[in-house]
Amino acid sequence: MNYKVYFEEAKKVGLEALELYSAKESSLSFSLFRGEIESFQVSDTYSLIARGIYQGKFGYCSTEKKDKCTPKYVVEQIKENASINESKEEAEIFKGSERYHKRKVYNGDYKLIPTEHKIALAKEMENALRKADPRIREVEIEYSEGEEEVCLCNSYGLNLKNHVNSMVYYVCAHATDEDGDTKTGYKVSFTNQFDDFNSEKIVNEVVDKTLSQLGGKPCKSGKYKTVLDKKVAASLLSFFLSSTSAEAIAKKSSMLIDKVGEKIASSKLTIEEKPLAHNMFFRSFDDEGVATMNKKIVDRGVLKTYLYDLKNARKFNVEPTGNSYKHGNGKASVSFVNIHVKPGKKSLEQIFSEIGNGIYITSVEGLHAGMNAQSGNFSLQAKGYMIENGKMGSPVTLITIAGNLFDMIKNIKEVANDAELLSSGFTSCSLYIKSMPISGI
Amino acid sequence: MITKNLARIVLNECLSTGCEFAEIFLEQTESEGITVDNQLVETVTSNTIYGAGIRLIKNLQSVYGYTNDISKKGLMALASSLKKSFDGNQEKECAPIHKVRIKNRHAPKVPYSSVSKEEKVALLKKVAQAMLIDERIVRTIVSMNNETQTVQIFNSNGKEVTDQRIRGRMHMQTVAKDENGIETSHEGPGAQKGMEFFLDENDLVSEAKEVAQVALTMLGAKECPSGKMPVVIGNGFGGVIFHEACGHSLEASSVSKDLSVFSHKQGTQIASNIVSAVDDGTIPGGWGSGNVDDEGNKCKRNLLIKNGILNSYMVDPFNGKRMGASETGSSRRESYRYEPTSRMTNTFILPGKSTVEEMIKATPYGLYAKSLGGGSVNPATGEFNFAVNEAYMIEDGKITYPVKGATLIGSGKDVLMNIDMVGSDLKRAQGMCGAASGSIPVDVGQPTIRVKEITVGGRGGTR
Repeated sequence: MNYKVYFEEAKKVGLEALELYSAKESSLSFSLFRGEIESFQVSDTYSLIARGIYQGKFGYCSTEKKDKCTPKYVVEQIKENASINESKEEAEIFKGSERYHKRKVYNGDYKLIPTEHKIALAKEMENALRKADPRIREVEIEYSEGEEEVCLCNSYGLNLKNHVNSMVYYVCAHATDEDGDTKTGYKVSFTNQFDDFNSEKIVNEVVDKTLSQLGGKPCKSGKYKTVLDKKVAASLLSFFLSSTSAEAIAKKSSMLIDKVGEKIASSKLTIEEKPLAHNMFFRSFDDEGVATMNKKIVDRGVLKTYLYDLKNARKFNVEPTGNSYKHGNGKASVSFVNIHVKPGKKSLEQIFSEIGNGIYITSVEGLHAGMNAQSGNFSLQAKGYMIENGKMGSPVTLITIAGNLFDMIKNIKEVANDAELLSSGFTSCSLYIKSMPISGI
Repeated sequence: MITKNLARIVLNECLSTGCEFAEIFLEQTESEGITVDNQLVETVTSNTIYGAGIRLIKNLQSVYGYTNDISKKGLMALASSLKKSFDGNQEKECAPIHKVRIKNRHAPKVPYSSVSKEEKVALLKKVAQAMLIDERIVRTIVSMNNETQTVQIFNSNGKEVTDQRIRGRMHMQTVAKDENGIETSHEGPGAQKGMEFFLDENDLVSEAKEVAQVALTMLGAKECPSGKMPVVIGNGFGGVIFHEACGHSLEASSVSKDLSVFSHKQGTQIASNIVSAVDDGTIPGGWGSGNVDDEGNKCKRNLLIKNGILNSYMVDPFNGKRMGASETGSSRRESYRYEPTSRMTNTFILPGKSTVEEMIKATPYGLYAKSLGGGSVNPATGEFNFAVNEAYMIEDGKITYPVKGATLIGSGKDVLMNIDMVGSDLKRAQGMCGAASGSIPVDVGQPTIRVKEITVGGRGGTR
């Protein structure tokens, strides 16, 4: 794609600088229902997200159109939108970092594996699940693969590229017992190397997760020693991390104002952002073109840094941390990739045995509504298992866990050693929380 | 966007390996967004969504693809890639294409383009200013988005439909803070109307003050106690309970596969006999309304529940085939990037006879959940949860004090049976509903209702 014409048009209308973020994506996906391909999808798309500076202010425009008139249209929209912008911050388009770490994470081998093969693996998992237990009544399997090529360039000559791909199987079983109680269990398995898929392991995990929930009931209300499964821990901690955004600090909507250097969590908790880690979520630059860096956000309970984009780094007079990412076709905001919770020494089983009697929460629902991202107050529908005599016991469902996120992280007694990279890009571990209020019957 | 002639060529390419139905959905959506953050214009955006989706169906198998390249070359390349999923011989030709004339029942009176961005900014600032009722209001964000979606749909039965959907929505959000903590509050009025909705039909200044007041009230609220108790659920957005706990489980996408708690329940009682509910895509100017759905079928008013008896599901043609039911004008998608499926439009419980006062008075101890936040449901089990944004305790038949942090959880089939009073104050509210075919505008709604017993989660301990 030739972007020169955009920069020429920008000059003509008097834009001071222009940034173009383009993404080329392609995907293939299918879903299986009762052994047959129920739906099959392919896609091939392009999008351009542009921003420019006019009279010192930003204007924004995005489009999926790619014809002769597009460059002129885009720069004119930017000019019009910038001219009513009143933001007090000085608009800045990044001239570039000194050095960018290079690493190839794209793996094009997935294209060499025939689609029939990917369908066959799905059918194999479906059969295995149905055979595993008569209580398994329905199975849903979805597969998707895709790649994305991002190009970030600007009128200062910056030109950065990021090329990634992934393959995902979503496997879900529905089981019903003799009392008519229905439960679902699923596993999302992802990689960019097809051989990594271990169908037997996926099937076993889904069978266990589904059947073990049957007959689940609410437990008695009260305060429990609680273990949050790593997936739940990751969901909750991502809300904590959003409070470390310098934007939230600047706008006074964070509980972490003036807390850098202070102990804000249990000394068991260390959280790092590792954008340069060698996995599928590797990023060498953020969506403003700033080179990323690995860093500790929380070190043994002490808050080490806020996360900065260009605008907020300037406001606080610090270096940007490479934490500006776009969501959808909108403007970028302070965010993070590749978060790692540092694992502890004890296994989940050791922690259960230490607890004796408590509760193990394996899933929470309704985070978008039940979590107040600012205050950290939450009350969430949850399910899991009782911890009885030091072991995982009977299933529990339709309970709520409640608390305050900022209090909760102070009450982490142990971080388990069960680190796993989740599809959200979070390498998480299960957390043992001293005490949590549970509401059941 | 494309000619009848080109559509026929592409559809015939799709049919050439034996599929029984093919469809092209073309879309161009232009949107504009202005955000005023802490009283200053912070962001102004223009966005264009542009592309086509092609769908092929044979028996119970569907194949879908999408692209931004809607030239003959782009569409033919997509069609020939999709047709490889079938390996038969062409069984039918695309029928001669006839344009179906539709009447636009939701056309704006004051088009967004007739009002300058400066005038829109002035309105947003007036609303933002109105929220500053107390020094504990530390942040205000007011934004307005409008979009014009133009769609053109062709299918192999010879149908051509074009439609334009023009929507606008305002978000008013405030953050209140004192030494005890932070609370936020939000309202988001919207409609399939023009600027008249914001300029003439709504008192935005009063609504903005109310938003700020709720955040302040919640600052002083105690933690909500937990346990099972009667809950009076406020009108308007309170209808999200019905949307989550029942609506999703009545969509053919899960019903037709026996994956819903309400599969095979038509004609049986699923709610208490004072409950009737509709999904009505025909309301003029309604946020979730349409002239036609995203397969070009006329939007309808569907009576879902009549006096507690399940009357109708929401059905799209594809899932309708699986369950032997006719379509109900319910096939929707966020954009050309999504294969359509059965979704809600404007879904609400119909008014009854009780008043809010009567419901409070009839409750010795319980929760008045005046305004709800979002929630979610597992359609297989019917288990739902949602957050309460504004709530008060009811003691001895009187509202006593505000409480925060409450969550309502339960299972859809239980809560519907447990509705024991339905008010007369029906109100609808706007939301975005996310599911398989993307995020689409829907109205939820209800009069104030009382549920005999719901599990309330909160941090205030048990009674």
